[in-house]
Amino acid sequence: MTDRRRTERPADLLRAVSVTRAFEGVVALRGVDLELRRHEVLGLIGPNGAGKSTLVNVLTGFDAPTEGRVRLGDVDITDWPAYRRGRSGLTRTFQHAHAFGGLSVRENIEVSALGVGATPAEARRRADELMEMLGLADLEEVPASTLPHGEERKLGVARALATDPVFVLLDEPAAGLNEAEVEPFAEVVRSVRDDHDAGVLLIDHNFSFITAVCDRVQVLDEGVTIAIGSPEEIRRHPRVASAYLGRGDG
Amino acid sequence: MRRRLAVWHLLGPSLLVVAVAAVGTTTSPTIQFQVRSVLVTAAIVVSLYVFVGNSGVISFGHVSFVAVGAFAAGIASAPAEVKPSTFPKMLPFLANLEIGNVESLLLAALVGAIYAFWVGIPLMRLSGLSAGIATFAVLIITHNVIRNWEAIGPGAKTLALVPPTTGFLQATVGLLIVMAIAYGYQRSRWGRRLRATREDPLAAQASGIEVHRERLIAFTLSGALAGFAGGLFVHLLGSITTEQVFLDLTFVTLAMLVVGGIGSMWGALIGALFIAGLNAFLVELEKGVVLGARELDLPSGTRLLTLGVIMFVVLVTRPEGLTGGRELSWPIRRRRRV
Repeated sequence: MTDRRRTERPADLLRAVSVTRAFEGVVALRGVDLELRRHEVLGLIGPNGAGKSTLVNVLTGFDAPTEGRVRLGDVDITDWPAYRRGRSGLTRTFQHAHAFGGLSVRENIEVSALGVGATPAEARRRADELMEMLGLADLEEVPASTLPHGEERKLGVARALATDPVFVLLDEPAAGLNEAEVEPFAEVVRSVRDDHDAGVLLIDHNFSFITAVCDRVQVLDEGVTIAIGSPEEIRRHPRVASAYLGRGDG
Repeated sequence: MRRRLAVWHLLGPSLLVVAVAAVGTTTSPTIQFQVRSVLVTAAIVVSLYVFVGNSGVISFGHVSFVAVGAFAAGIASAPAEVKPSTFPKMLPFLANLEIGNVESLLLAALVGAIYAFWVGIPLMRLSGLSAGIATFAVLIITHNVIRNWEAIGPGAKTLALVPPTTGFLQATVGLLIVMAIAYGYQRSRWGRRLRATREDPLAAQASGIEVHRERLIAFTLSGALAGFAGGLFVHLLGSITTEQVFLDLTFVTLAMLVVGGIGSMWGALIGALFIAGLNAFLVELEKGVVLGARELDLPSGTRLLTLGVIMFVVLVTRPEGLTGGRELSWPIRRRRRV
């Protein structure tokens, strides 16, 4: 997947620099820094309301920070609209699948490739590849609106990968998957890092899933970063335990 | 199979159009006019579908493009000897202009495209109800400009003596051209990207799709086709007033699209043929027809009442329209063996 027409040259680092996002009275993020490199999986965890999804929205252009900047490599992309970031290799999935319900599984994937400027032939090739990789091949002609939950999650990831991304932000992609489905899914996330050479930001509540796939983990609580480190360091971190793991939803 | 189906999605509807036209040529002159008018109306509805069906954004303004197309083609092709005396305030360049039939149709498409592109730049930022109201405002503005600015339009008069070139051949070929372009667009990368924005604008942006741009492309193409259909319309009627391309036509064509099924070209065509055909049939019944030994003569008003009831029943029982918004399926079903 190297022949895509990027509107900007690829970058190796995605950064949030002191990002603050205040909604009328409620401050969702307070001066958060984040660095996501290519070829790594960064876990983003924290209790509900910690600001994880807000941070993903700010990074991908679906929300604007009140203060702070977003940088892709050397370029300040804070004012770029979401579609321009998508074409520059920065894409995401959504907590609620946001599938193109009336389109088939194949069409969902192909149109995501077309969105970043792939030719129809290239889009077809990527769809074949991704359906194979994610085990969606039997569902090719099925309308996305009728997919079971787990398949819908996979389709979201397939669609993100169809844009041939440099950075993929996955917002709770494994939510609702059963234990048997999580392990193959972890394999998919690793292959995005290893085979696609992309940087992955992974939000999830399942701590064992996070530990299994992440190179580093960043913990948010009430809009601030309380810890960054390897999964093992995070597991032992006292503030993380009290803020997050101690609440028994890990 | 998929490629064969793709061909069939255009070929099937085209065969239906040719069949309707062929049967139409064998009827009485009054019915012939009705059938040609059904074909031209279908061209308008398919042009409307190009934008509304693929974008999911409602437009009450499309008849504006039909109107500018109709008056561009009509004024440009009406005889130059009579225009300066009938329309004394018309710009001399327009009054003295007289171009051929095909040129006038191309001019109609061009004017429709330019106008749609120009109003589309701000309009395409809107969706939902605000898009509906704003496009409706465009219709009102367009109507008033054509009606009151006598330098470029006919004013309150009738624009007459337009060459009546939309016979069966022109109506049929014109509709087939509109359908082929609509179908080509819907299968193109632009059409597919626009349908993704229809399904989920947020997810579309995450895939690099610029909603405004894709909508504007469709709106402009749709405006070109609507303008072209307006050209067919004025050459069908031979004489036209601004009222004929205003509110009635707007609501009738939208109703046809909704009744047929908004999401497919097949739906646009079926809705147009069904409602326009029924309408034409009821017009004749209201005038009175002889059926065997008895004369059937419905009281006036029956036509609109019947149309209203039928639309109501269709939409209540099949909210997705007659076709369910799907393209024509392959006629021979392959049995699945268990």
